[in-house]
Amino acid sequence: MPKTDELLDVTDTAIPAVVHPPERRRRALRRPPPTTAFALALGLAAAVLALSGTPWLNDPAVAAWRTVCLAITVQALPFLLLGTALSGAINAFVPADLFTKVLPKRAALAVPVAGIAGVVLPGCECASVPVANSLIRRGVTPAAAFAFLLSAPAINPIVLTATAVAFPGSPAMVLARLLASLATAAVMGWLWLWLGREEWLRPVVRHTGHRPGHSRFTEFRLGFQHDFLHAGGFLVLGAMAAATFNVTVPRSVLDTFSGSPWLSVLFLAALAVVLAVCSEADAFVAASLTGFSPTARLAFMVVGPMVDLKLIALQAGTFGRAFAVRFSTATTVVAVAASVLIGGALL
Amino acid sequence: MKRTAQVLLLVLTGLGLLHTALFTDLYLRYVKEGLRPLLIISGALLLLLGLAHAALDRGSADEEKHDHGHDPGHDHGHDHSTAPRIAWLLFLPALSLLFYAPPALGAYTASHAGSEAVKQQKRFAALPATSPLPMTLTDFTTRVQQDKELAIKGRSVEMTGFATPVRGGGWDLTRIIFTCCAADAQTVKVHMYGTPAPPANTWLAVTGTWHTQGALGTRTAAAALDVHGTRNIAQPVNAFTDDLPLTPS
Repeated sequence: MPKTDELLDVTDTAIPAVVHPPERRRRALRRPPPTTAFALALGLAAAVLALSGTPWLNDPAVAAWRTVCLAITVQALPFLLLGTALSGAINAFVPADLFTKVLPKRAALAVPVAGIAGVVLPGCECASVPVANSLIRRGVTPAAAFAFLLSAPAINPIVLTATAVAFPGSPAMVLARLLASLATAAVMGWLWLWLGREEWLRPVVRHTGHRPGHSRFTEFRLGFQHDFLHAGGFLVLGAMAAATFNVTVPRSVLDTFSGSPWLSVLFLAALAVVLAVCSEADAFVAASLTGFSPTARLAFMVVGPMVDLKLIALQAGTFGRAFAVRFSTATTVVAVAASVLIGGALL
Repeated sequence: MKRTAQVLLLVLTGLGLLHTALFTDLYLRYVKEGLRPLLIISGALLLLLGLAHAALDRGSADEEKHDHGHDPGHDHGHDHSTAPRIAWLLFLPALSLLFYAPPALGAYTASHAGSEAVKQQKRFAALPATSPLPMTLTDFTTRVQQDKELAIKGRSVEMTGFATPVRGGGWDLTRIIFTCCAADAQTVKVHMYGTPAPPANTWLAVTGTWHTQGALGTRTAAAALDVHGTRNIAQPVNAFTDDLPLTPS
């Protein structure tokens, strides 16, 4: 397969870049003709149609898996588009020094500011990954971008309103969610400043932003398209994983854990990771888990928008696997701790 | 992934979304009605993006490369003319939406779900006098378990849902309710007495009265119905909400 993975591309050019281009162009010319793509796509379509006759695909469990998997994808697509469009726009239209000017110079201060700035990005968590990536590309310190990445899906007005609607008569739950999410985002940002290492991040593709002599609109369109296709592939991967858990884990398991206060917090946090419910809906799911303590339900709502299977897939695709594994693990621990502390104080 | 494949992928995904949200009601199997405008916009946007890529970047990947990287540009090393391999996965939902839409969730999911706990409700309005009284499964359960006035006692009610056979005999009338999409589906069930179980996933309108078991108006009351009559109906348009059914016209 000719190089299609941008990772290869980047590592190539990290070493003297001048040597490579001519050779690379030759390789590009040796690529198979465009008809192969059509043939492949037609083959895929034929395979799908052929499979539609096979009984196992229509087995109730498999059918439910397909439904849930497609539902997660369809639900997330508009928000992923919004996120990648924003990320493309930041890259093409926003002046390079804007973010460095607006954010405090000291990284330790920039972290909470970026966390609070998460309020402005409406929508699900899928939108925040590409946006955070484009912020890093434009020179924002990764710690601040990660604080934004974590807080944006949890504390935006849509999500907080949904939480208030799902828990009528308990405004403390909304406040606890806001505080616990902000605290987690800020702590993770500071943790990155303290312990984080650049080499965990996939060598960041340095978008130079707008380059003179190029149409801004074309730059926007191509960046948008590339980011969308990239993130979209990982979204489908994450949706498949989440759907697998969703269909195979029986809900009766829930009842076995609701008795113990400590186990129930951990269990609901784990449930948030594997179910991958979008952040606008998770409050309603949490409200329906009536057997559990308020703190456990808070943990579900704090962990869910920050760590879940589709997000891990998206992050692995965007920032690299080494990063996604460490970051998600640390975030889960911090989020559970924040929920227990703040939930214990407020609820 | 090459240019042609990208065009194809964008166009197919766009058409898939438009097919499911604009030309048909299929999207209601997967997400809530409120997402429809967003799905249509997304579909149109992806379609446009694909067509624009086909029409405007005709200079082929080769020229695209010149454009991007005559050579000071190469130090940024980001090649937009190809998309990563992982993007091939997007063909699955796109083709699935267009040609092979998975069915709505049904008895399989309902039988594996616990029954949703109903919300706390303190005050109940007086029940309308119509008989049989159309009710949702949730309303019925709340009335039976929480209404201290016992207004439901002896009333003939009509509820709609699909049949879910229960392991060990009998059947439940069930509704699956989405909060956001099928991934967060919750199930409401009311157990049916007095009729043999219809085939799984049959949509029915059932009339009957509360099945005496436990103390009415308390948590011990069973969400159950003595069936007086059933009538097959078409699957409502709003199958995944907790509302009274809108049957297709």
